[in-house]
Amino acid sequence: MIEDDLRAAFVRHEPLTPSTGPLRAAIDRLAAVRRRRRQRFQAAGVTLALLGALGVGVPQLRPDRPAEGPSLSGRPAGAQSGALNVLLLGVDGFGEEPSYRLADSVLLVHIPADRSRPYLISLPRDLEVSIPGRGTGKLNSAFYSGEPRPDLDAGYDLTRRVVADLTGVRVDAGAVLTFAGLRRITDAVDGVEVCLPTEVRSWHTRRTFPAGCQRLDGAASVDLLRQRRYLPDGAFDRDRNAQRYVAALIRRAVAQDVLTNPVRLTALLSAGGKGLAVDDDGLPLTRLVAVLPELKSVDPVGLSLPVGPPVDNASRLPLDPKLGPAFLAALSEDRLAQWVAQHPEQVNPTR
Amino acid sequence: MTYEEFADTRLAPLLRYAVMLTGDPHQAQDLVQETMVRVQLNWRRVARADSPERYVRRMLTNQYVDWRRGSWVRRVLLRGEPDASVPVPTDHAQSAVDRDQIWSWLSRLPRRQRAALVLRYYEDLPDVEIADILGCAVGTVRSSISRALATLRAEYVEA
Repeated sequence: MIEDDLRAAFVRHEPLTPSTGPLRAAIDRLAAVRRRRRQRFQAAGVTLALLGALGVGVPQLRPDRPAEGPSLSGRPAGAQSGALNVLLLGVDGFGEEPSYRLADSVLLVHIPADRSRPYLISLPRDLEVSIPGRGTGKLNSAFYSGEPRPDLDAGYDLTRRVVADLTGVRVDAGAVLTFAGLRRITDAVDGVEVCLPTEVRSWHTRRTFPAGCQRLDGAASVDLLRQRRYLPDGAFDRDRNAQRYVAALIRRAVAQDVLTNPVRLTALLSAGGKGLAVDDDGLPLTRLVAVLPELKSVDPVGLSLPVGPPVDNASRLPLDPKLGPAFLAALSEDRLAQWVAQHPEQVNPTR
Repeated sequence: MTYEEFADTRLAPLLRYAVMLTGDPHQAQDLVQETMVRVQLNWRRVARADSPERYVRRMLTNQYVDWRRGSWVRRVLLRGEPDASVPVPTDHAQSAVDRDQIWSWLSRLPRRQRAALVLRYYEDLPDVEIADILGCAVGTVRSSISRALATLRAEYVEA
Protein backbone atom coordinates (compact mmCIF):
# COMPACT_ATOMS: atom_id res chain seq x y z
CA MET A 1 0.00 0.00 0.00
CA ILE A 2 1.40 3.31 -1.04
CA GLU A 3 -0.19 5.09 1.91
CA ASP A 4 1.73 2.88 4.34
CA ASP A 5 4.95 3.41 2.42
CA LEU A 6 4.36 7.13 2.64
CA ARG A 7 3.80 7.06 6.38
CA ALA A 8 6.92 4.96 6.81
CA ALA A 9 8.98 7.28 4.62
CA PHE A 10 7.95 10.31 6.64
CA VAL A 11 8.76 8.66 9.95
CA ARG A 12 12.09 7.37 8.61
CA HIS A 13 13.13 10.91 7.72
CA GLU A 14 12.27 12.43 11.08
CA PRO A 15 15.93 12.20 12.15
CA LEU A 16 16.74 14.74 9.43
CA THR A 17 15.16 17.37 11.66
CA PRO A 18 17.88 19.68 13.00
CA SER A 19 17.96 20.79 16.61
CA THR A 20 15.89 23.84 17.50
CA GLY A 21 18.37 25.71 19.71
CA PRO A 22 20.37 27.60 17.07
CA LEU A 23 17.24 28.14 15.03
CA ARG A 24 15.44 29.74 17.93
CA ALA A 25 18.34 32.11 18.54
CA ALA A 26 18.43 33.04 14.85
CA ILE A 27 14.69 33.76 14.90
CA ASP A 28 15.08 36.06 17.88
CA ARG A 29 17.98 37.90 16.26
CA LEU A 30 16.23 38.40 12.98
CA ALA A 31 12.98 39.47 14.64
CA ALA A 32 14.88 42.10 16.63
CA VAL A 33 16.49 43.43 13.47
CA ARG A 34 13.17 43.66 11.67
CA ARG A 35 11.45 45.25 14.63
CA ARG A 36 14.08 47.97 14.73
CA ARG A 37 13.92 48.49 11.03
CA ARG A 38 10.15 48.77 11.10
CA GLN A 39 10.14 51.33 13.89
CA ARG A 40 12.81 53.35 12.24
CA PHE A 41 10.96 53.25 8.97
CA GLN A 42 7.71 54.41 10.49
CA ALA A 43 9.42 57.26 12.28
CA ALA A 44 11.10 58.25 9.07
CA GLY A 45 7.75 57.99 7.33
CA VAL A 46 6.02 60.48 9.55
CA THR A 47 8.92 62.86 9.42
CA LEU A 48 9.33 62.64 5.70
CA ALA A 49 5.66 63.04 5.05
CA LEU A 50 5.73 66.24 7.00
CA LEU A 51 8.87 67.39 5.26
CA GLY A 52 7.43 66.50 1.90
CA ALA A 53 4.25 68.33 2.70
CA LEU A 54 6.24 71.34 3.84
CA GLY A 55 8.15 71.30 0.61
CA VAL A 56 11.42 70.59 2.29
CA GLY A 57 13.76 68.62 0.10
CA VAL A 58 15.20 65.52 1.63
CA PRO A 59 18.28 64.05 0.08
CA GLN A 60 17.47 60.42 0.63
CA LEU A 61 15.21 58.10 2.45
CA ARG A 62 17.59 56.48 4.86
CA PRO A 63 20.55 58.39 6.21
CA ASP A 64 23.09 55.71 5.57
CA ARG A 65 25.90 58.18 5.20
CA PRO A 66 26.48 60.65 8.01
CA ALA A 67 25.29 64.18 7.37
CA GLU A 68 27.86 66.91 7.63
CA GLY A 69 26.57 68.33 10.85
CA PRO A 70 23.22 69.91 11.57
CA SER A 71 22.14 72.08 8.75
CA LEU A 72 19.30 74.12 10.13
CA SER A 73 21.14 77.39 9.85
CA GLY A 74 22.87 78.74 6.81
CA ARG A 75 23.47 76.91 3.58
CA PRO A 76 24.00 73.25 4.25
CA ALA A 77 26.81 71.38 2.67
CA GLY A 78 25.73 69.39 -0.33
CA ALA A 79 22.59 71.41 -0.88
CA GLN A 80 20.22 69.99 -3.42
CA SER A 81 19.93 71.74 -6.69
CA GLY A 82 17.65 70.73 -9.49
CA ALA A 83 14.14 69.43 -9.16
CA LEU A 84 13.13 67.23 -6.25
CA ASN A 85 10.50 64.53 -6.17
CA VAL A 86 9.16 63.17 -2.92
CA LEU A 87 6.86 60.17 -3.00
CA LEU A 88 4.13 60.05 -0.35
CA LEU A 89 2.14 56.86 0.03
CA GLY A 90 -1.03 56.83 2.07
CA VAL A 91 -1.72 53.23 2.97
CA ASP A 92 -4.84 51.65 4.40
CA GLY A 93 -5.12 49.14 7.21
CA PHE A 94 -6.07 49.82 10.81
CA GLY A 95 -4.25 48.99 13.99
CA GLU A 96 -0.65 48.02 14.45
CA GLU A 97 -0.97 44.79 12.56
CA PRO A 98 -3.44 44.87 9.70
CA SER A 99 -3.53 41.76 7.58
CA TYR A 100 -2.68 43.63 4.38
CA ARG A 101 -2.03 47.10 3.14
CA LEU A 102 -2.55 48.81 -0.19
CA ALA A 103 -1.31 52.25 -1.15
CA ASP A 104 -4.57 54.01 -1.94
CA SER A 105 -3.12 57.49 -2.07
CA VAL A 106 -0.03 57.90 -4.18
CA LEU A 107 1.16 61.47 -4.23
CA LEU A 108 4.30 62.75 -5.86
CA VAL A 109 5.44 66.10 -4.47
CA HIS A 110 7.44 67.82 -7.19
CA ILE A 111 9.61 70.79 -6.31
CA PRO A 112 10.92 72.43 -9.46
CA ALA A 113 14.53 73.56 -9.78
CA ASP A 114 13.47 77.20 -9.76
CA ARG A 115 11.77 76.54 -6.38
CA SER A 116 8.75 78.49 -7.59
CA ARG A 117 6.12 76.39 -5.83
CA PRO A 118 5.37 72.76 -4.96
CA TYR A 119 3.31 70.57 -7.24
CA LEU A 120 1.18 67.80 -5.79
CA ILE A 121 0.67 65.10 -8.37
CA SER A 122 -1.82 62.35 -7.60
CA LEU A 123 -1.22 59.05 -9.33
CA PRO A 124 -4.56 57.20 -9.47
CA ARG A 125 -4.50 54.03 -7.44
CA ASP A 126 -6.32 52.15 -10.23
CA LEU A 127 -3.68 53.07 -12.77
CA GLU A 128 -2.51 50.06 -14.75
CA VAL A 129 1.21 49.69 -14.26
CA SER A 130 3.80 47.03 -14.77
CA ILE A 131 5.04 45.74 -11.44
CA PRO A 132 8.47 44.14 -11.50
CA GLY A 133 8.10 40.41 -10.99
CA ARG A 134 4.32 40.47 -11.06
CA GLY A 135 3.26 41.49 -14.55
CA THR A 136 0.67 44.22 -14.79
CA GLY A 137 -1.55 45.33 -11.96
CA LYS A 138 -3.06 48.31 -10.30
CA LEU A 139 -0.72 50.86 -8.83
CA ASN A 140 -2.05 50.42 -5.30
CA SER A 141 -1.30 46.69 -5.39
CA ALA A 142 2.44 47.27 -5.77
CA PHE A 143 2.44 47.98 -2.06
CA TYR A 144 0.99 44.58 -1.22
CA SER A 145 3.68 42.39 0.24
CA GLY A 146 1.77 39.27 1.08
CA GLU A 147 0.13 37.74 4.11
CA PRO A 148 0.21 37.86 6.99
CA ARG A 149 2.42 40.81 7.79
CA PRO A 150 2.47 43.83 5.53
CA ASP A 151 6.02 44.95 5.10
CA LEU A 152 6.07 48.75 4.78
CA ASP A 153 9.65 48.62 3.64
CA ALA A 154 9.09 46.14 0.84
CA GLY A 155 5.82 47.83 -0.14
CA TYR A 156 7.49 51.19 -0.40
CA ASP A 157 10.49 49.91 -2.32
CA LEU A 158 8.40 48.21 -4.96
CA THR A 159 5.95 51.12 -5.32
CA ARG A 160 8.84 53.50 -5.64
CA ARG A 161 10.31 51.44 -8.46
CA VAL A 162 6.97 51.33 -10.22
CA VAL A 163 6.54 55.10 -9.91
CA ALA A 164 10.09 55.78 -11.09
CA ASP A 165 9.59 53.49 -14.10
CA LEU A 166 6.25 55.05 -14.87
CA THR A 167 7.19 58.69 -14.57
CA GLY A 168 10.82 58.54 -15.56
CA VAL A 169 11.77 60.84 -12.69
CA ARG A 170 14.18 60.13 -9.89
CA VAL A 171 12.40 59.72 -6.58
CA ASP A 172 14.63 61.60 -4.14
CA ALA A 173 12.82 60.69 -0.99
CA GLY A 174 9.62 59.18 0.15
CA ALA A 175 7.44 58.24 3.02
CA VAL A 176 4.69 55.86 3.92
CA LEU A 177 1.85 57.29 5.89
CA THR A 178 -0.45 55.00 7.79
CA PHE A 179 -3.73 56.18 9.26
CA ALA A 180 -2.01 56.47 12.64
CA GLY A 181 0.81 58.55 11.17
CA LEU A 182 -1.62 60.85 9.45
CA ARG A 183 -3.50 61.36 12.70
CA ARG A 184 -0.31 62.12 14.60
CA ILE A 185 0.96 64.64 12.09
CA THR A 186 -2.35 66.46 12.01
CA ASP A 187 -2.56 66.63 15.76
CA ALA A 188 1.05 67.79 15.94
CA VAL A 189 0.06 70.97 14.09
CA ASP A 190 -3.16 71.29 16.13
CA GLY A 191 -5.37 70.34 13.22
CA VAL A 192 -5.63 71.68 9.69
CA GLU A 193 -8.22 73.76 7.90
CA VAL A 194 -9.44 71.89 4.85
CA CYS A 195 -11.69 73.51 2.28
CA LEU A 196 -14.14 71.24 0.48
CA PRO A 197 -16.11 72.25 -2.62
CA THR A 198 -19.03 69.98 -1.71
CA GLU A 199 -20.31 68.14 1.33
CA VAL A 200 -18.68 64.77 2.07
CA ARG A 201 -20.52 62.10 4.03
CA SER A 202 -18.44 59.45 5.74
CA TRP A 203 -19.06 55.84 4.78
CA HIS A 204 -17.19 54.67 7.85
CA THR A 205 -18.44 56.99 10.60
CA ARG A 206 -21.36 59.33 11.14
CA ARG A 207 -19.32 62.37 10.27
CA THR A 208 -20.48 64.75 7.61
CA PHE A 209 -17.98 67.23 6.32
CA PRO A 210 -19.86 70.32 5.11
CA ALA A 211 -18.88 72.22 1.99
CA GLY A 212 -16.49 75.06 2.75
CA CYS A 213 -13.52 75.42 5.07
CA GLN A 214 -13.35 73.57 8.35
CA ARG A 215 -10.82 72.70 11.00
CA LEU A 216 -10.08 68.97 11.20
CA ASP A 217 -8.22 67.18 13.92
CA GLY A 218 -6.22 64.00 13.31
CA ALA A 219 -9.11 61.56 13.56
CA ALA A 220 -11.35 63.64 11.31
CA SER A 221 -8.58 64.00 8.73
CA VAL A 222 -8.13 60.25 8.59
CA ASP A 223 -11.86 59.83 8.18
CA LEU A 224 -12.03 62.37 5.35
CA LEU A 225 -9.10 60.90 3.47
CA ARG A 226 -10.63 57.43 3.58
CA GLN A 227 -13.83 58.55 1.84
CA ARG A 228 -14.43 57.35 -1.67
CA ARG A 229 -17.81 55.64 -1.89
CA TYR A 230 -20.18 58.56 -1.52
CA LEU A 231 -18.06 60.82 -3.70
CA PRO A 232 -19.32 61.38 -7.25
CA ASP A 233 -15.90 60.81 -8.77
CA GLY A 234 -14.84 58.07 -6.34
CA ALA A 235 -11.12 57.59 -5.91
CA PHE A 236 -10.36 60.70 -7.99
CA ASP A 237 -12.29 62.84 -5.55
CA ARG A 238 -10.47 61.18 -2.73
CA ASP A 239 -7.15 62.04 -4.36
CA ARG A 240 -8.31 65.64 -4.66
CA ASN A 241 -9.21 65.68 -0.99
CA ALA A 242 -5.76 64.32 -0.17
CA GLN A 243 -4.28 67.25 -2.06
CA ARG A 244 -6.55 69.65 -0.21
CA TYR A 245 -5.38 68.13 3.03
CA VAL A 246 -1.70 68.45 2.15
CA ALA A 247 -2.25 72.04 0.98
CA ALA A 248 -3.97 72.76 4.28
CA LEU A 249 -1.12 71.13 6.20
CA ILE A 250 1.34 73.39 4.40
CA ARG A 251 -0.78 76.47 5.13
CA ARG A 252 -0.93 75.45 8.75
CA ALA A 253 2.82 75.02 8.93
CA VAL A 254 3.29 78.46 7.38
CA ALA A 255 0.81 80.01 9.80
CA GLN A 256 2.72 78.50 12.68
CA ASP A 257 5.87 80.02 11.29
CA VAL A 258 7.39 76.62 10.84
CA LEU A 259 9.11 77.19 7.54
CA THR A 260 11.03 80.27 8.59
CA ASN A 261 11.78 79.26 12.14
CA PRO A 262 14.26 76.40 12.35
CA VAL A 263 13.66 75.88 16.05
CA ARG A 264 9.94 75.57 15.49
CA LEU A 265 10.49 73.18 12.59
CA THR A 266 12.67 70.90 14.63
CA ALA A 267 10.18 70.94 17.48
CA LEU A 268 7.35 70.09 15.17
CA LEU A 269 9.27 67.33 13.50
CA SER A 270 10.10 65.68 16.77
CA ALA A 271 6.44 65.93 17.77
CA GLY A 272 5.50 64.17 14.56
CA GLY A 273 8.05 61.47 15.08
CA LYS A 274 7.55 60.93 18.78
CA GLY A 275 5.79 57.80 19.86
CA LEU A 276 7.09 56.03 16.83
CA ALA A 277 10.80 56.45 17.27
CA VAL A 278 10.98 54.47 20.46
CA ASP A 279 14.18 52.89 19.37
CA ASP A 280 17.47 54.30 20.56
CA ASP A 281 18.93 54.17 17.12
CA GLY A 282 15.90 56.01 15.82
CA LEU A 283 16.32 58.50 13.08
CA PRO A 284 18.14 61.73 13.93
CA LEU A 285 15.60 64.13 12.53
CA THR A 286 17.95 66.99 12.01
CA ARG A 287 19.89 64.93 9.52
CA LEU A 288 16.91 64.81 7.27
CA VAL A 289 16.63 68.53 7.04
CA ALA A 290 19.48 68.98 4.64
CA VAL A 291 17.80 71.61 2.56
CA LEU A 292 15.48 74.38 3.51
CA PRO A 293 13.71 75.38 0.38
CA GLU A 294 13.75 78.83 -1.02
CA LEU A 295 10.25 78.36 -2.20
CA LYS A 296 8.86 81.52 -3.65
CA SER A 297 5.35 80.34 -2.89
CA VAL A 298 4.11 77.51 -0.72
CA ASP A 299 0.75 77.49 -2.45
CA PRO A 300 0.80 74.08 -4.11
CA VAL A 301 -0.59 73.24 -7.52
CA GLY A 302 -2.81 70.14 -7.39
CA LEU A 303 -2.59 67.87 -10.44
CA SER A 304 -3.51 64.34 -11.36
CA LEU A 305 -1.76 62.10 -13.82
CA PRO A 306 -4.16 62.17 -16.80
CA VAL A 307 -5.74 58.76 -17.33
CA GLY A 308 -8.16 57.32 -19.85
CA PRO A 309 -11.34 55.29 -19.25
CA PRO A 310 -11.06 51.77 -17.78
CA VAL A 311 -9.61 49.18 -20.17
CA ASP A 312 -11.60 46.19 -18.98
CA ASN A 313 -13.96 45.00 -16.30
CA ALA A 314 -11.15 45.05 -13.81
CA SER A 315 -11.47 48.85 -13.77
CA ARG A 316 -7.81 49.34 -14.46
CA LEU A 317 -7.08 52.76 -15.85
CA PRO A 318 -4.60 53.33 -18.66
CA LEU A 319 -2.54 56.48 -19.07
CA ASP A 320 -4.44 59.03 -21.14
CA PRO A 321 -3.03 58.37 -24.61
CA LYS A 322 -2.81 62.04 -25.52
CA LEU A 323 -2.38 64.05 -22.32
CA GLY A 324 -0.48 61.39 -20.36
CA PRO A 325 2.82 61.27 -22.25
CA ALA A 326 2.90 65.07 -22.59
CA PHE A 327 2.36 65.45 -18.87
CA LEU A 328 5.07 62.95 -17.99
CA ALA A 329 7.48 64.63 -20.38
CA ALA A 330 6.76 67.99 -18.73
CA LEU A 331 7.33 66.45 -15.32
CA SER A 332 10.62 64.80 -16.14
CA GLU A 333 11.88 67.89 -17.98
CA ASP A 334 10.84 70.07 -15.05
CA ARG A 335 8.49 72.33 -17.00
CA LEU A 336 5.20 71.72 -15.27
CA ALA A 337 4.52 75.46 -14.99
CA GLN A 338 4.37 75.65 -18.75
CA TRP A 339 2.17 72.54 -18.93
CA VAL A 340 -0.21 73.94 -16.34
CA ALA A 341 -0.46 77.20 -18.27
CA GLN A 342 -1.50 75.21 -21.33
CA HIS A 343 -3.93 72.98 -19.41
CA PRO A 344 -5.50 75.13 -16.69
CA GLU A 345 -8.52 72.81 -16.58
CA GLN A 346 -6.31 70.05 -15.17
CA VAL A 347 -5.57 71.95 -11.99
CA ASN A 348 -7.40 70.87 -8.88
CA PRO A 349 -8.22 73.90 -6.70
CA THR A 350 -6.87 73.15 -3.25
CA ARG A 351 -8.63 75.88 -1.33
CA MET B 1 0.11 32.04 25.90
CA THR B 2 3.30 33.99 25.26
CA TYR B 3 5.50 33.70 22.22
CA GLU B 4 8.15 32.00 24.36
CA GLU B 5 5.73 29.37 25.59
CA PHE B 6 4.57 28.74 22.07
CA ALA B 7 8.11 28.38 20.78
CA ASP B 8 9.07 26.11 23.69
CA THR B 9 6.49 23.53 22.77
CA ARG B 10 5.75 24.07 19.09
CA LEU B 11 9.06 24.88 17.43
CA ALA B 12 10.26 21.28 17.23
CA PRO B 13 7.04 19.87 15.73
CA LEU B 14 6.94 22.75 13.23
CA LEU B 15 10.50 22.07 12.22
CA ARG B 16 9.71 18.38 11.71
CA TYR B 17 6.71 19.37 9.65
CA ALA B 18 8.90 21.68 7.55
CA VAL B 19 11.38 18.87 6.98
CA MET B 20 8.57 16.71 5.62
CA LEU B 21 7.41 19.55 3.39
CA THR B 22 10.77 20.52 1.97
CA GLY B 23 12.63 17.24 2.29
CA ASP B 24 15.72 19.20 3.27
CA PRO B 25 16.89 20.22 6.75
CA HIS B 26 18.38 23.54 5.66
CA GLN B 27 15.38 24.62 3.68
CA ALA B 28 13.23 23.53 6.59
CA GLN B 29 15.23 25.78 8.90
CA ASP B 30 14.89 28.72 6.56
CA LEU B 31 11.18 28.15 6.17
CA VAL B 32 10.57 27.89 9.91
CA GLN B 33 12.84 30.82 10.62
CA GLU B 34 11.06 33.12 8.21
CA THR B 35 7.66 32.03 9.50
CA MET B 36 8.55 32.30 13.16
CA VAL B 37 10.07 35.76 12.76
CA ARG B 38 6.73 36.90 11.44
CA VAL B 39 4.96 35.03 14.22
CA GLN B 40 7.07 36.81 16.79
CA LEU B 41 6.54 40.24 15.25
CA ASN B 42 2.80 39.67 15.04
CA TRP B 43 2.37 37.64 18.16
CA ARG B 44 -0.70 39.46 19.44
CA ARG B 45 -2.65 38.61 16.31
CA VAL B 46 -1.42 35.02 16.28
CA ALA B 47 -2.38 34.57 19.93
CA ARG B 48 -5.89 35.84 19.22
CA ALA B 49 -6.54 33.02 16.74
CA ASP B 50 -8.75 30.14 17.89
CA SER B 51 -5.83 27.83 17.51
CA PRO B 52 -2.49 29.65 17.32
CA GLU B 53 -0.84 26.43 16.33
CA ARG B 54 -3.06 25.92 13.33
CA TYR B 55 -2.71 29.58 12.42
CA VAL B 56 1.07 29.26 12.38
CA ARG B 57 0.93 26.00 10.49
CA ARG B 58 -1.17 27.76 7.90
CA MET B 59 1.36 30.60 7.68
CA LEU B 60 4.19 28.14 7.26
CA THR B 61 2.32 26.12 4.67
CA ASN B 62 1.43 29.22 2.66
CA GLN B 63 5.02 30.32 2.83
CA TYR B 64 6.11 26.96 1.49
CA VAL B 65 3.52 26.87 -1.27
CA ASP B 66 4.33 30.46 -2.29
CA TRP B 67 8.01 29.68 -2.32
CA ARG B 68 8.71 30.21 -5.95
CA ARG B 69 6.48 33.24 -6.17
CA GLY B 70 9.14 35.11 -4.46
CA SER B 71 9.44 35.69 -0.91
CA TRP B 72 11.15 33.74 1.67
CA VAL B 73 14.22 32.16 0.22
CA ARG B 74 15.64 35.49 -0.76
CA ARG B 75 14.76 37.22 2.47
CA VAL B 76 16.49 34.94 4.89
CA LEU B 77 19.38 36.86 6.34
CA LEU B 78 20.56 34.85 9.26
CA ARG B 79 20.51 31.17 9.51
CA GLY B 80 21.14 29.19 12.66
CA GLU B 81 24.73 28.10 13.09
CA PRO B 82 25.32 25.22 10.73
CA ASP B 83 24.53 22.12 12.64
CA ALA B 84 27.28 19.61 12.00
CA SER B 85 25.42 16.88 13.77
CA VAL B 86 22.44 16.73 11.42
CA PRO B 87 21.82 13.03 11.25
CA VAL B 88 21.51 11.49 7.85
CA PRO B 89 19.23 8.50 7.49
CA THR B 90 21.51 5.52 7.77
CA ASP B 91 19.76 2.60 6.22
CA HIS B 92 22.25 0.20 4.78
CA ALA B 93 20.27 -2.33 2.86
CA GLN B 94 19.53 -1.84 -0.81
CA SER B 95 15.88 -2.33 0.08
CA ALA B 96 16.01 0.83 2.12
CA VAL B 97 17.39 2.73 -0.86
CA ASP B 98 14.52 1.41 -2.92
CA ARG B 99 12.04 2.44 -0.31
CA ASP B 100 13.52 5.92 -0.20
CA GLN B 101 12.71 6.39 -3.81
CA ILE B 102 9.32 7.42 -2.57
CA TRP B 103 11.06 10.33 -0.79
CA SER B 104 12.62 11.57 -4.01
CA TRP B 105 9.37 11.13 -5.93
CA LEU B 106 7.70 13.33 -3.33
CA SER B 107 9.98 16.17 -4.31
CA ARG B 108 8.57 16.15 -7.82
CA LEU B 109 5.00 16.70 -6.70
CA PRO B 110 3.44 20.15 -6.85
CA ARG B 111 3.88 21.78 -3.45
CA ARG B 112 0.24 21.90 -2.54
CA GLN B 113 -0.09 18.20 -3.23
CA ARG B 114 2.94 17.39 -1.15
CA ALA B 115 1.63 19.56 1.68
CA ALA B 116 -1.70 17.71 1.56
CA LEU B 117 0.09 14.36 1.74
CA VAL B 118 2.23 15.45 4.69
CA LEU B 119 -0.78 16.80 6.54
CA ARG B 120 -2.73 13.60 6.07
CA TYR B 121 -0.08 10.89 6.30
CA TYR B 122 2.43 12.50 8.62
CA GLU B 123 0.39 14.87 10.77
CA ASP B 124 -2.69 12.61 10.60
CA LEU B 125 -5.05 15.55 10.36
CA PRO B 126 -8.66 15.16 9.24
CA ASP B 127 -9.46 16.50 5.77
CA VAL B 128 -11.46 19.38 7.22
CA GLU B 129 -8.42 20.69 9.02
CA ILE B 130 -6.20 20.13 6.01
CA ALA B 131 -8.63 22.18 3.96
CA ASP B 132 -8.47 24.94 6.55
CA ILE B 133 -4.69 24.98 6.51
CA LEU B 134 -4.46 24.93 2.74
CA GLY B 135 -7.29 27.44 2.44
CA CYS B 136 -9.36 25.37 0.05
CA ALA B 137 -12.47 23.18 0.02
CA VAL B 138 -12.47 19.67 1.48
CA GLY B 139 -13.20 18.26 -1.96
CA THR B 140 -10.11 19.99 -3.31
CA VAL B 141 -8.02 18.39 -0.58
CA ARG B 142 -9.31 14.94 -1.46
CA SER B 143 -8.81 15.39 -5.16
CA SER B 144 -5.28 16.69 -4.78
CA ILE B 145 -4.37 13.83 -2.46
CA SER B 146 -5.75 11.27 -4.86
CA ARG B 147 -3.94 12.93 -7.73
CA ALA B 148 -0.70 12.86 -5.75
CA LEU B 149 -1.18 9.20 -4.88
CA ALA B 150 -1.89 8.39 -8.50
CA THR B 151 1.35 10.07 -9.53
CA LEU B 152 3.29 8.10 -6.92
CA ARG B 153 1.64 4.85 -7.99
CA ALA B 154 2.60 5.51 -11.57
CA GLU B 155 6.22 5.97 -10.45
CA TYR B 156 6.02 2.63 -8.66
CA VAL B 157 4.92 0.90 -11.81
CA GLU B 158 7.72 2.47 -13.83
CA ALA B 159 10.38 1.72 -11.25
